[in-house]
This record gives sequence, structure tokens and C-alpha cells, in this order.
Amino acid sequence: MDVRSQISMVFHLDKCIGCHTCSIACKNIWTDRKGSEYMWWNNVETKPGTGFPTRWEDQETYRGGWLKDENGKLKLRAMDKKRTLFNMFHNPSQPSIDDYYEPWTYKYDELFNAPEGDDQPTARPISMITGDYMDIKAGPNWDDDLSGSPVYAENDPNLESLTPEQREQLFAIERMVMFYFPRICNHCLNPSCVASCPSGALYKRGEDGIVLVDQNRCRAWRACISACPYKKTYYNWHTGKSEKCILCFPRLETGQAPACFHSCVGRIRYLGVLLYDADKLEEVANLPQDQLIQGQRDMILNPHDPEVIAAARKSGVHDSVIESAQKSPVYKFVKEWGIALPPHIEYRTLPMLFYVPPLLPVMSTHTDGLTQNTSEKLFHSIDEARVPMEFLASIFGAGDQSFLRTGLRKQMAIRMYRRAITVGDIEMKVAEQMLAESGCSKDEADAIYKMTALCTFDDRFVIPPMHREEALEMLKEPHEHKQEAGFGFRTGPKRGL
Amino acid sequence: MELSFTKAGRSGLAVLGALLLLVGSLSAQETSEYFQANCASCHTIGGGPLTGPDLKNVEDRKDRDWLINFIVDPGAVIASGDAYAKKLLAEARNVPMPKVAGMTKDRARRLLDLIKAESKLERSKFAGLSLSDRPFTAEDVELGEALFSGATRMQSGAPACASCHTIAGQSGLGGGLLGPDLTDAYARLNGRKVLGAWLSSPATETMAPVFKVSPIHTDEILPLLAYMKEAAKKEGEAPGPGIEFLIFGVVGAVAALLLCDFVWRRRFTGVRGKLVRGQK
Repeated sequence: MDVRSQISMVFHLDKCIGCHTCSIACKNIWTDRKGSEYMWWNNVETKPGTGFPTRWEDQETYRGGWLKDENGKLKLRAMDKKRTLFNMFHNPSQPSIDDYYEPWTYKYDELFNAPEGDDQPTARPISMITGDYMDIKAGPNWDDDLSGSPVYAENDPNLESLTPEQREQLFAIERMVMFYFPRICNHCLNPSCVASCPSGALYKRGEDGIVLVDQNRCRAWRACISACPYKKTYYNWHTGKSEKCILCFPRLETGQAPACFHSCVGRIRYLGVLLYDADKLEEVANLPQDQLIQGQRDMILNPHDPEVIAAARKSGVHDSVIESAQKSPVYKFVKEWGIALPPHIEYRTLPMLFYVPPLLPVMSTHTDGLTQNTSEKLFHSIDEARVPMEFLASIFGAGDQSFLRTGLRKQMAIRMYRRAITVGDIEMKVAEQMLAESGCSKDEADAIYKMTALCTFDDRFVIPPMHREEALEMLKEPHEHKQEAGFGFRTGPKRGL
Repeated sequence: MELSFTKAGRSGLAVLGALLLLVGSLSAQETSEYFQANCASCHTIGGGPLTGPDLKNVEDRKDRDWLINFIVDPGAVIASGDAYAKKLLAEARNVPMPKVAGMTKDRARRLLDLIKAESKLERSKFAGLSLSDRPFTAEDVELGEALFSGATRMQSGAPACASCHTIAGQSGLGGGLLGPDLTDAYARLNGRKVLGAWLSSPATETMAPVFKVSPIHTDEILPLLAYMKEAAKKEGEAPGPGIEFLIFGVVGAVAALLLCDFVWRRRFTGVRGKLVRGQK
């Protein structure tokens, strides 16, 4: 058993209100530099929708993630020798700037310095790449709240699992449904971006599993851009280096939650350490598609198990990190309660960001042209929820609904149970029956309710001490390093060797 | 101790002396090679004039100081309006003696010593190339053309003439453009003997380093001469890229671009653009 620690995340989608505060917090800290204007290390998508970049889930086009070849061995979808040879100087599988969007600002000068006249002056949009006037054709959340749905939402790759009737229903007026899908780098256990880099510039930090790009080693091959199935590495055209979400490691190292977590209005985000068995990595990444979710769950180890603790100590995991893993909300969501699921695990990168899928209950009923909001049949069965189970399963279950159903049924039961307690229009017996059917004890229901509805800052973010001084000791004398270290680069990243 | 040191000193002196002798003979050999490489293409010693005059007993005709000055920088002496130099230029049909690379006063002195020594011999080894006087045959011309164009490899592995020179009658795109057009070379160098001497050891800065390593074999000089004589008879310019070549080039480039465009037609098409266009 090779125990390692990984900082992991849970996003609770039923709590997300789609306000994009996380995206702005991230943008302000990390990607307001020249060349990175178009990047959104954190973005919030509307589902159904094509997302950012457009149709990122379409791996036929972008060739992200891993494939099992005819011998059952994992290989990168983006890179085989022949393809690489013929596409050495231009990778055709990466998104173009149009698939992201051309970043723009407005020429405010024209507004402020406009001469007096009869017309209202306007500030025309100018490209932040070329500086020329431009027509805005797309943006990073162009399909927000189903805008442009005949173009964007209807082209969601996940809709392919639906029947034509289901698709039609999904977009019917007054039945239309959507939910928000905030995304950051998943800091995968089997990251295809790291595997694809010809320069070896990407790496997964040993102590916490954060995936980073070494700006000095990056040689602009851009293999990671297409290899990442979540399209979460971006190429900075100004410095000629790739960049990605760094999970705000400088904030984590000083005990602060990452900016997007910290700023989240809906408090949907949870962060904590997971201990996992790295020996199982290859075996799990190779499992048949329908066993991947269970396989990944089995890899995650119980931090209370004395055997695991001993093995963790042996492989150099600090006691304080083990302690932190024991308090981790992520462990509870993923392992104890089993209601958080990895996104698109069929890409086989084993993402370490988990989502609590949205329950989306039908709050109103629609009969005889009347919309009713009676409390009768307030919650339907999960199958009557407006978002088809197949659609959710395409994102959170690799097409398999079993884990999704278990989680959603549990969530539904807890809602009924809380309704019985707080409002009382549901009989407690019925609620308890539902809890029992979903395999959830009352204590667990209370715990989930607390962690979902009443969670404090410290409940949501259990940040392990990073012990940078100890990590440094291996390389340098810490006091010496302290004198040399500072903010930023001594020389910024730039093109060339 | 002292004794052995003296002994060592003595034997050291002896070695030094031997070395000096060796250097002396080496330098004589070196001068001889230098003459062959740099002078023999235009001068003989007792073989009659080529491009330049026969150098046998040259010091009887002009004094040593004048000769050294002339050898070191012929252009300057000619430019100074020296009467004898002008006369030499006229005799050489206005082919001026080039300034030879690496020439110094000391070297010129050694060359004059060599010429003096060689002049005393019955027959100097620099009496000129002994080329057969037989008339050129059609086979000679054919072989010469093959050698010129590189169809037949030179025995020494020397590069074919066409890699740097063109000549009237060359097929296709003609020869190279680094060296001069050789169509009138046969006439310019006054035919067989002089051009033959030139080919035996080409002395220009570009050719010398190449042909010093792999000189043209004596048997190959005659066919080359035959071919060059034949070529001189041909009317018109040496062939070069004509209008057909231009057309071929333009059409070929366009075809190649179209092919690239076809092969990589799915590049830069994007994903979003197609979705939006598909809607209209």
C-alpha cells in the first residue's frame, strides 16, 4: 500500500446559483495578465449547454483523456506516434480562440472624451488580443441560462444519450430545465495532461497532488491543451507557456481556501484531504467503464483505519495531514455518504473533484393549462425530475445510473425528513421509511443536512498544514531559502529555451 | 650529474640540428608544392608561355627586387604604370596576374630560388603538362560532356564542372552559377595548352582548395578540352531557366498549396463557428 495525500474538492450542484463570483475571484487573482485574458481557470457552465470551450466534452474532436487500446492498455487519445509526427507543428485537436472566445474590452476613451453632440456616445468593443475594433461573437458563458439554446444547449454532447422524445421534452416551454456546472481543474490522479507533455513540464505535486505547469520547462507544444479532456489547461499566447488552475497553492500554503472556494456565494464548495492507495492507480484506471466509480472510491482509503495510518506514516505523510484527512468533508461526501460523484470518469483520468448532482425537484405541477404550487406531491420521485436521469448519468456516471440513483434517492429522503421536522406537512413515518429505503440512518441524514445547509467556513474547508519548511528542507536550508524567495518570477516566463 | 646534463645538452643540440635540416628540406618541398598549386596553371619553367610567360631564367630579364614586388602584388605594379608590367599584361592578352593567396615577400624569395634552381636543370618538372597532340575525336567530346555534367564521375572524385559552371549546350537548367560561364573559356585561354595547364591545377581561391585534394586526372583533361572546344562553337547563350521553368514553378507551387489545403482542410475550422453557421 503506497498511501499518498491528495487535496480534493466537492461541489454541491444543488446549491450553485450560477453567479460566477468564483470565476471573477479567480480571474482577478490569476488570469488578468496579457495573454491569459481568455482563460477561465474557474468557469460556470449552464447544463444543458456546450460549455467552455465549445463542446469540450466532445472527445472525438478534442481528443482528450485516455483510451483503452486493443490490448487493453491505456493510451492517450491525443497522442500516437503517427498522429504526432504528422501534426508536429500544429495540433489540429485543440480548441481555436473562437471555440474559447476572443477577449475584449471597451474603448472607454471614446465615451469620456466624446464631443458634445446630439447622439449618445458609445464605447466600442476592442479585442484584447489585437487591439482592433471587433464584433463580439461569443463569450466564456455565452450560453449562460440557456441563452442561444437552439445553437448551444441543443448541441450538448451529453444529450446524445437521450431519446429524441426526451430531448424534445427537455426543451419544451415551461418544462425547460437547467442547472449550473462550475468547473476547475480536477487535479486528477491519472492526469492525461501530465502524460502528454513532451517537455515534462507538467507534474503532480507529491505532497498534495496539485497538478502544475513548470513555466521554465514548458516549450509550447500544447499537447496538454488537447490531452486534458476537461480543457482546463490553457495556452498563454503572450508568454508562449501553458497555464492552468493551481488550486491557489500559495493560499493553501498559508492556510487559506482557494479564491473560488473562499468567494463562493452559495457555499457549494468543499475542500479536504483524501488518502489514496497509489499502488492501485494503474489497475483502477484500466477497469471496465462501469466499474470506474467504484474502483476510484475503493482507492480512497479510510483515514481512521490504523493500518492506513501506519502505511501513510511509512510513505511520509505527515501526522497533521492524516489528522486533516480524518476531518475532511470530501471524504464524507465521497466515501461515507456516497453522494458525490466524479465528472466524466469515462475519460479515465480519475478526477479528484467530485460533484453532488442536482436533485432539481419539480416544484410546480402543470395540469390543464394551470401551474400549481400546492404542497401535495411536493417532491416527485427522482425519475419525474425534469432533467432526465440519462443526461445526468452521462456526466456523472459514465452512462451508468446506479451510483447516481443511490445518491439522489438519499438526498431526496433527507429533504423529506427535514420537511417532516421543520414544516410537518409530511408524516415522519413516511420520511423515515424513505430514509430507510435509501439506506441512510437518521444520524447520517442529520450530518448530511448539517454539512449541506449549516456548514461553517471551517466545516467546508479543512486545509491541511502544508509544511513547506519541511518540503524545502529536502532541497535547501529553509532560512537561506527564505532570504531568496519572494513574489513572482525574477524573470517572467517568455518564449524560447 | 653535471656530466649527464652536458651529455643531454649535446644530444639535444644534435636533435635540434637534424630538425633544422628537416625543416629546410621540408620548406623546399613545400615551395615546390606551392608553385605547382598556385603558379603552374599559368607558368611553366622552360615549357614555353601559357597564360603567363615562361619563367626560365626570369632573373636574367628583370632584377630580383622588381620581381618580388610584382609577385607580392601584381595589380599594384600594373596600376603604377610600370612599362614592363604593361607589356606583360598585353602579352597575356589582358589576363592580369592575380594576387595569390598567402603570398609574402619571403615566399616570393623562396619561389625565385626554386625557379633559379629549376632553370639550371635540363628539363624542369615544371616544364608544363605533356598533353597528347592528337586531334580531338567525337568520343573525346562525348566523354568530356559526361565528365562536365557529372554523368561520369571524375576518377579522383573531384566535383563535376557543372556543379559550379554552365556552358553552351548543357541540357536542362544548365550548370551552376557560382563560377563563370565557360562557353568562351577555350578561346579566352588560347586553347589547348593553356587551358589544359589550368585544368591540371586550377589556381583560383574557390577552385584551388577543392582540386588540390582531388585533382583532375591527366586522362580526363583531354576530353574536357575537346568538349569545351566543341561547346565554344555553339551559337547563343548558355541555357538557363527559361519561361517554361517559371510557368512550371508557379503552377507547381499553386498545385502544392492546393494539395496542402486539401490534406489539411479540416484545420482551423473550429467547433463553435460550425454550430453557429449550422443554425442559419
